Amino acid sequence: MNAPEMLDTKTQTQAHAQATGYIGKRMARTEDARLLTGRGVYVDDVGLPGALQVAFHRSPIARGRIKSIDLSAARQLPGVYAVLTADDLARFKVDMLSFFLAAPVVPVPVLATDCVRHVGDPVAMVVAQDRYIAEDAAGLIVVDYDEEDPVVTLADAKTGPLVHPDADSNVAAATGNEDPDEDLEAQLANAPHLVTVEFEHQRISQSPMETRGVVSAPQGSGELTIYLSCQGPQLNARWFAQAFGMPQTAIRVISKDVGGSFGLKGQPWREEVAVVLASMLLKRPLKWIEDRLENLTSANQAREQEIKLRVAFDADGKLVASHADYGLNNGAYPQGADSNIAVMMFLWGAHKLPVFDFHARGWFTNTVGLAAYRGPWALESLAREVLLDRAARQIGLDPIEIRRRNLIRREDQPCTTPMGLELTDISPAECLDVLLEKIDVAAFRAEQAEARKQGRYLGLGFATYIEPTAGSTGIGVLMSESAHIRIEPTGKVSAVVSTHSQGHGTQTTMGQVIAERLGVRFEDVAVYEDDSSRGGYGSGAYGSRQAVAGGGACIRAADLLVDKIKRMAAYLLKVEPDAIVLGDSMIRALGDKEQVVSFRDLADIAYGEPERLPEGMDAGLEIQYRYRPPPITMTSAAHACIVEVDADTGFVKIKRWVTSEDCGNMINPAVVEGQIAGGLAQAIGEVLMEEVSFDARGNPTAVTYKDYMLPTIFDVPEFEYHHEASRPSIAEGGFRGVGEGGCIIGPPTLVNAIADALAPFGELKLEFPLTPSRLLAHIEGRREIAERAAPAESAPLPVPESARAASESASTVENLPAPSAPQEPVAASTAVQVDGEWKFVLSTPMGPQAFTGRMSTDGDQLTGVFIMNMDEAHFTGTVSGNQLKWDLKVTKPMKITLKYEAQIDGDKLTGKCKMGIFGSAKLVGERVST
Amino acid sequence: MKPAPFDYYAPATIEEACQLLSDAGGGATLVAGGQTLMPLLALRMSQPFVLVDLNGIKALKGISRQAGRTRIGPITRQNEAIADATLNAAQPLIVTAVKHVGHHQTRNRGTIGGSIALGEPAAELPATAVALGASVEVRSTRGTRQIKADELYFGPYATALEPDEMITAIDVPEWPSGTVSVFREIAQRPGDFALVGLTGAVTIDNGRITRAGIAWFGMGPTPIKARQAESALIGQEIAALDAKAIAELAIADTAPFDDLHATAEYRRTVGRRVFTRALSEALDLRAAA
Repeated sequence: MNAPEMLDTKTQTQAHAQATGYIGKRMARTEDARLLTGRGVYVDDVGLPGALQVAFHRSPIARGRIKSIDLSAARQLPGVYAVLTADDLARFKVDMLSFFLAAPVVPVPVLATDCVRHVGDPVAMVVAQDRYIAEDAAGLIVVDYDEEDPVVTLADAKTGPLVHPDADSNVAAATGNEDPDEDLEAQLANAPHLVTVEFEHQRISQSPMETRGVVSAPQGSGELTIYLSCQGPQLNARWFAQAFGMPQTAIRVISKDVGGSFGLKGQPWREEVAVVLASMLLKRPLKWIEDRLENLTSANQAREQEIKLRVAFDADGKLVASHADYGLNNGAYPQGADSNIAVMMFLWGAHKLPVFDFHARGWFTNTVGLAAYRGPWALESLAREVLLDRAARQIGLDPIEIRRRNLIRREDQPCTTPMGLELTDISPAECLDVLLEKIDVAAFRAEQAEARKQGRYLGLGFATYIEPTAGSTGIGVLMSESAHIRIEPTGKVSAVVSTHSQGHGTQTTMGQVIAERLGVRFEDVAVYEDDSSRGGYGSGAYGSRQAVAGGGACIRAADLLVDKIKRMAAYLLKVEPDAIVLGDSMIRALGDKEQVVSFRDLADIAYGEPERLPEGMDAGLEIQYRYRPPPITMTSAAHACIVEVDADTGFVKIKRWVTSEDCGNMINPAVVEGQIAGGLAQAIGEVLMEEVSFDARGNPTAVTYKDYMLPTIFDVPEFEYHHEASRPSIAEGGFRGVGEGGCIIGPPTLVNAIADALAPFGELKLEFPLTPSRLLAHIEGRREIAERAAPAESAPLPVPESARAASESASTVENLPAPSAPQEPVAASTAVQVDGEWKFVLSTPMGPQAFTGRMSTDGDQLTGVFIMNMDEAHFTGTVSGNQLKWDLKVTKPMKITLKYEAQIDGDKLTGKCKMGIFGSAKLVGERVST
Repeated sequence: MKPAPFDYYAPATIEEACQLLSDAGGGATLVAGGQTLMPLLALRMSQPFVLVDLNGIKALKGISRQAGRTRIGPITRQNEAIADATLNAAQPLIVTAVKHVGHHQTRNRGTIGGSIALGEPAAELPATAVALGASVEVRSTRGTRQIKADELYFGPYATALEPDEMITAIDVPEWPSGTVSVFREIAQRPGDFALVGLTGAVTIDNGRITRAGIAWFGMGPTPIKARQAESALIGQEIAALDAKAIAELAIADTAPFDDLHATAEYRRTVGRRVFTRALSEALDLRAAA
């Protein structure tokens, strides 16, 4: 099953210790016994003496001013300890932060202050002896609002009132080029084939089985212990410390078992922060467990997007040029305002595309805020793969062939994409090769043709993708992971790792890596990742990083420990270190007479008789190592899916789903396959049934799992997994991440299968989710057209592709905004003061960046320096009146020239920074001194 | 999601339960299996002052046959009904319908009477009771009365039961030999309420239909009896039956609506098709559509 390359790491492993074969082994998970028998420890299982319970009173309207709040009845209810509003929490200075630990672009209140901005906006909190009373009291709070018309949809955001009155517009974040590139437009207009897809993607709730939850216990010493349902205790402890301006040593975050997160719990948000603050205020342990109604209406959500993707192909179906226009609903308070640059980075990250440009915007609305969701940029794969199939039908190519003509193969690398992505080892084409060995496409097409004659509609869909995993570039919170491995005096192994499982099974996989590299039995290794006070900083579960970054840390730490053990054992047993072999939790000295000692024997001496150690060797047997993986480790895959659509009812039956991926060396194939399956289950839900919906007043309309439909076990087929395309990565251990892939490649695979099945009814209308009702409306609509065209004739006929294609491509270059008039420079005679010390804020795709700088002028020459993070960046430019221009070359996160244009008005500076392919960012400045 | 405060009573007899309902003056709610009520309480969509737990009343349980009728105790669990030999012999359509109610796990708690009393318009059992011509025996301190199932439902969750009344039995006529079941449910996921549902019985004697009872669920604000289709079927010779035409008549009685999951148009289109197919299959028509 594994590629020959897989054996190479095995051999490497043997060089360190006698291979125990744990890496690559399909092992049962350590976690499962406790999780499956109800003995896991989730936040709600934490009971602290004297703990009180919290319930929130939330806004019933999407937008309005708070005129008054009457708390009197709630406060009088017996069993109520406190009822708090924003005023009560105002004594604490809290800087809400994005996941990147950047300040938000608009102020994010912990509890609503003067106005509410979405249904579910927390307005007050009740602290009571139990949750029942807390909810009773929350129901007694009376808030009087001046209701205003809300901004709900992306369309509303573009034309409606400002969601945040102090902001310039409802644009939360923007990247790319607002003005169309005329050359690109000409290429699109003149290409032999122009193919367009344009659709909206519905909003998704992350729907973790365990909702959000927190228990906050202030200690008398000014410390806080916070039990938190989260994606990583270390990063969350750091978040609280930075947001509260407290030393991180005073904050301990504990997160033992977590029942799923999928991006939702990457960071604390308003409710968790409110509970922690209230516990500090009241000096009592407080518990809040989000209920399902709150989770579906007030927890942040994801994925509400729109895209128009235009692609020009040459006569052979090869890519010529492409443009994407993209919008993302950020809600009122996003966890980091976002225009989702990753969509643009990976849209054509694996394809031979000469020219690409885009315009992407995130929009504020009066809906609950944007958070991450597994594969936050996944829309790139959906839009691209659906478009490629459409192009294949339009051009008259096979969908496999159009991919083969355009995908970058192993032999084409290294190469750099138009977006600056440096590729060395992606393999979607090779994954597709393996996939096609598993499916008899010709036999399927024959079966499909036969079935259509009987009025049965079978479809086969393909997709390929690449996924950046374990990134360690550009995002400061995601650079390295730590492993601290200790041979205890008992001879057993404790490892504290900065990974974290919300179902990932990292206790098992990190244990496998450590056991193999140390040469100990798997059951002798205990892995801890539950407590920020136990070990070093790390981000936990983010961006499919744990196998690569955490696994690499475990390998490096274990190898260093093996080295020490060998030197120590060799000295004690009077052999050369090379003669020492570790395995099966024993230490053997090879030689004329084999000597065997246990880890316990060695640990007794290392801890208890350090005088017996070699000269200069430290006592004890422990190592901590921090591993930074390569900047990006790429994972690739190709999937295929076969469906049958019942044309009488619009129901989709998934008959087969075949996966082929390159995830490098696998630590545990069962865990890899579990990750793929979980992502695909989410993909099936996303395509067929899940939708967070709102009415025109911004009221959520799917507020329980009766209406927010998740796939059940009946809706998810058995998947077939093929790992033959895997090649080791250059990361330590050769691993690649596999956490998000299913959720990225799943949607286009399924949509393409449905579109293929329904091809006789014309191009599928992309209205997500593709419910039976919508699919049947599409089928019936097309039937009517066909019947009108050919009355009283035989079965419904396909709509001619060429006719449809023509109608679609007709609408290509419309609605382009007129280029804005150039700004008139102020006459040079108006003396403009440029020189001085400045404070700047640049709105980057990663959130606002604040820095200081100095600028001085000599005639029309400008010189200056930006000072940020103990780093100076010098630049020179020009001055004309109040207009400044300068270029700044940077190397992080990639080599790029930043082109600044700004104008000065008194002590204020406004302008923009063109960041090459990343588009423009807004710059504002304020003079501090002259 | 915690219920608002309520007083809890667990009476041992029907008389005690009726007294509690009477005393509460309309502020009491009955609980049996709790598969719908408990979430409604937790969501505070239902906030009764008094909760009367029927689970301890033995007289409300069990299934028996007498004089051509089947009597079902309302707190009989759905899974008990599925396993009950008497019900399987006497009322195969009810067994089929119960198998479509929720999931195996919820059927361990959910009761026959609970589903019938709730009056969810997209549920299987109210429509099946309507189709078969069942009636419910209803008690209060004021006395006992029978309500015909097709007079029980006024709108979504709205029934003819007075606030002080409780169902003490479901009384179903046994259909003669030669009766076939017609049942079809279209739901987005197994166990969901129906997008389109159809339930009924047709009696055939010597190639001719002598009796028909058919009702829709998920096709309007209540279970809907397909009266025009029933009339057209009775007296029909099977050999000459036009299932599509009957389906048109059946659809004419429905009043479906748009909701999050499907449009009214979807329900009508699919309803027409599943009616045609289900009837054709049940009657073993050669010209099955």
